[in-house]
Amino acid sequence: MRGIVKSLATTMSTFIRGPVTRGYPSKHRELPERDRAFPLLLWDKDIDEPFCTGCHACERACPVECMTVIMKDNPNHESQDGNSKRRKIVDEFWIDYGRCMRCNICVEVCNFEAIAMNNTWSGHETSVYDRADLVMDLPQLMAQSKSDEIQEWVAD
Amino acid sequence: MNNGIYGIEIAWLDAVIRLHIIVGLMTVVVMGLIYVERKILARFQQRLGPTRTGPAGLLQSVADGLKLVGKEDLRPRNADPWTFELAPYMVFIPVFLGFVIVPFAFGMQVRILELGLIYFVATSSLGIIGWVMAGWGSDNRYAMIGGMRAAAQGISYELPLVLSLISVAMVSQSFNLNDIVLSQSTYPNLLWQPLVLVIFIIAGLAELNRTPFDIPVGESEVVGGPFVEYSGIRWSFFFLAEYAALFIMGLIFAAVFMGGWAWPLGEELGRGWQILLVTVKTSLFIFLIFWIRASVPRLRIDQLMAFSWKILLPLTFVQVLINGAVLVYDAPLWILTITGLVGIVVLVRLIERAVRPSPAVNSEVVSVGNEGAP
Repeated sequence: MRGIVKSLATTMSTFIRGPVTRGYPSKHRELPERDRAFPLLLWDKDIDEPFCTGCHACERACPVECMTVIMKDNPNHESQDGNSKRRKIVDEFWIDYGRCMRCNICVEVCNFEAIAMNNTWSGHETSVYDRADLVMDLPQLMAQSKSDEIQEWVAD
Repeated sequence: MNNGIYGIEIAWLDAVIRLHIIVGLMTVVVMGLIYVERKILARFQQRLGPTRTGPAGLLQSVADGLKLVGKEDLRPRNADPWTFELAPYMVFIPVFLGFVIVPFAFGMQVRILELGLIYFVATSSLGIIGWVMAGWGSDNRYAMIGGMRAAAQGISYELPLVLSLISVAMVSQSFNLNDIVLSQSTYPNLLWQPLVLVIFIIAGLAELNRTPFDIPVGESEVVGGPFVEYSGIRWSFFFLAEYAALFIMGLIFAAVFMGGWAWPLGEELGRGWQILLVTVKTSLFIFLIFWIRASVPRLRIDQLMAFSWKILLPLTFVQVLINGAVLVYDAPLWILTITGLVGIVVLVRLIERAVRPSPAVNSEVVSVGNEGAP
């Protein structure tokens, strides 16, 4: 009898406390600042070009070989009457999100702080119908940084 | 009292119109109840319940209904065709018959019957036949066991339910639901009959086959009992009957124990307020049943039968005898309150004694096989 009363009290207390479920796909929980999704390239707003010089450091360090980088001479360099100090700059950049294991090594080896881990929900909800759609090219990798969608911690 | 609705004075036409209104009301209420039960039960378990269909999941019942109507109406090859196919109606019709006497507000019922309460228990107990038919006709062992359990449980708990209603009728001096409600305009019956109230709720739970008395349909034991072989529209009929019975039991509870539309604001109230009062009281009962469902696990069949025959039935008999004595000798009614409260204490003590584990079972565990070890 005491057990019945106790169980009724327990259920009533949970009733009053309210649900703990979050309506996930429609309501997103706020992500922590240092959340680590997939790597992104950052955009240098002062000069209006990528930070990345295409130096292949990340490509060589990547344990799963998910990156492909092509370098070119920077057309915006000071010697070409431009305003950039970067002699070389990235021409093409692909990251295969299907391969990436989010180890953060590319971010650590980068000498120019040009690559960072995405810390927004867009980095987690990457489901596609075709595997090939997971290979991101340069404009896709830049878009987040260009439109300021990533949070402060990454942008710094 | 049985005035024509919309000025229609032809008795049968008037009754047909009222019944049609009831059909509409019942369907809407049942759909609402299914939604509300899922929401409330989810809340008890700290979940959200249905959220995806319509705003806040409001269309969930409609979606379920459409899905059930669209499903194939299967019948096992060895099933008895007539018994199998008629069983859902035999479950549903008695429940629906109960709506004839339920008072929603002053002058709002299909018919006022002089023996309304007797009519209610008589019709509601007919449903057991449908359950046994479903169990027998399915040609399935689980269904058969479920049907037998339903019969055993239904018949056993019918008695405390009837006797509890009879003892209330003794205090109200009538079997007419309208008169019972009117007699409670100052004090509701639950004040005079607290023990009977408790017994009514317990027996009502068993009659409705709700947890903790849902052994006929217990999923973990008989995988749905008599419903195992049913699908589609026939299965939804059982469901409709179950929730309609819940609704009607709530209405009877409101009318018989809580004073229906008359208590606590008197019978000269506007019709809207009366309906609101009845709704609130009915919801209270239904919420209580959902709450118990969320809290208490299922009983065993032998515990269930013993509880009915050894505890509830004697107590209701004692209550009826005391009621008779008090009413015959014109003793003040507060004696009934006191005996009722004493009765609740006795009921609690009896339940405690029944669930106490026997000392032999609980004795120390003897280690076996270790004596010879080196």
